[in-house]
Amino acid sequence: MASLTDHLSDLVEDADAVLVFSPTSSFHDRFEDGDTEVVVVAPDNDVDAEVFVELPLPFDNVKDRIRFGIEGAMDAELVSEGDEVVCIASVFDGGSDAVIRVTVDETVHTGIYDLFVNSRAEPSVIRDVFEVAIELGQKGQKGKPVGALFVVGDAGKVMNKSRPLSYNPFEKSHVHVGDPIVNVMLKEFSRLDGAFVVSDSGKIVSAYRYLEPGAEGVDIPKGLGARHMSGAAITRDTNSTSIVLSESDGLVRAFKAGELVLEIDPEEY
Amino acid sequence: MSAVPTPLSEFVAAVPDRLWLALFVLLFGLVAAYVVGVINRRLLTRAGVPEVIEGTAFERTAREFDTSTVRILAKLSSYFIIAVAVIVALTVADVNYLEQFWSGVAAFLPRLFVAVVVLIVGVVVGDKAELLVAERLRGIKLPELGVLPPLVKYSVVYVAALIALGQVGVQTLALVVLLGAYALAVVLFAALATKDLVASAAAGVFLLLRQPYVIGDEVRVAGERGIVQEVDLFVTRIEADGEEHVVPNHSVFRDGIVLIRE
Repeated sequence: MASLTDHLSDLVEDADAVLVFSPTSSFHDRFEDGDTEVVVVAPDNDVDAEVFVELPLPFDNVKDRIRFGIEGAMDAELVSEGDEVVCIASVFDGGSDAVIRVTVDETVHTGIYDLFVNSRAEPSVIRDVFEVAIELGQKGQKGKPVGALFVVGDAGKVMNKSRPLSYNPFEKSHVHVGDPIVNVMLKEFSRLDGAFVVSDSGKIVSAYRYLEPGAEGVDIPKGLGARHMSGAAITRDTNSTSIVLSESDGLVRAFKAGELVLEIDPEEY
Repeated sequence: MSAVPTPLSEFVAAVPDRLWLALFVLLFGLVAAYVVGVINRRLLTRAGVPEVIEGTAFERTAREFDTSTVRILAKLSSYFIIAVAVIVALTVADVNYLEQFWSGVAAFLPRLFVAVVVLIVGVVVGDKAELLVAERLRGIKLPELGVLPPLVKYSVVYVAALIALGQVGVQTLALVVLLGAYALAVVLFAALATKDLVASAAAGVFLLLRQPYVIGDEVRVAGERGIVQEVDLFVTRIEADGEEHVVPNHSVFRDGIVLIRE
């Protein structure tokens, strides 16, 4: 037992900061009188923590969750490069069950935090679109895998860099992503090719858009098809973010400024 | 059959019928009071009153005295019925010497009961309104807004107290005038403060329904030219060369829209 305790104290020794993921308030209160800086990373600031990083998605992948927390803390200048950070998180369902030590460096910077917080569109809108894409990836259309492309934010410019493939079913309608009725509609409209355009505040501006961005200099992994290419390219030409559900491998990918930022497997959610 | 005059039957015969009736009325009153109290408590609980008023100051105070608002209301109705029963019993028993006093009380009692109920309901609703407003404003961390929740609470309590005082027959004309002045001030203030917002919302409804321009159109509105990025109820966002103009909808409507087509 002694060696186990030694190992644990080695793990937490000289930590510059503690990142606590979604703590209960009683758990958080235990850190009150410690010397190290405590950063709470959670979907909502339920515990009234002083230092708080908002988690827009409940990342199931613990690595992504920790990366997001560290990037958020870096962005708020709570930690800096070279700091030793101890993360207390929940890997399995339930309470905080893992202690993880991470050294902060630039390789942690994958842009996940940037994707949500520094995008033109509101973080909640990006989260909602993610959820729609993930659900679409899980269920598909009538059991068959389906692909979809959402361009979120900077809708005015995106509309000017694209043309309609068919009549816009969302004309003169005021539907926002996140409304419960929308998921079914989006599923139906994803049958036809073309992109969904979503505005900064989450209004679905159009479906069936053919994107016409300049594709030169877009560097995305080889093997991804036309949908990913046009999705990535439009984010280089405009300030938008695109979220693409692949028809062939079923992954949800996010692009920003022409680069792949995040890759999620819907089956893991 | 000659009855044997036992002490008991003698006693029964000695008491006038009137008194027996009075006693019966009193007993009936007590039973009715208990039943009404229990039914009231069950009804209020079934209607979800305890959950709704959870956390209000009145309920918390009641809890401190080991009771609850629902129980107080139920008790109140019981006491009211007991009091009425006592008065009826006394009248039936023909207790003459107190008649003047009791007739006054009998007339006054129902009003007092209504007044107390109105006051309790007013205080509880006021507390609840304060909680709701405070909850709503919690996201906005502005110390100046801290005066709003108590203001709402005391407005509700004030009106309740006014009704209660009116019930027991206190002259409330001056207080009503005060209330009128206060309401007028609130309405006037709100109208002044939200004049532009209301005008914008009215124009926004038109813009959203008829959609003279949509996201992606190039327009000139209120002297600003650019691409429409967003139209909502209050404002239109127009972007040009990295500048985003947030134009209130009432000015869009007043100044007109120029749609630019190449």
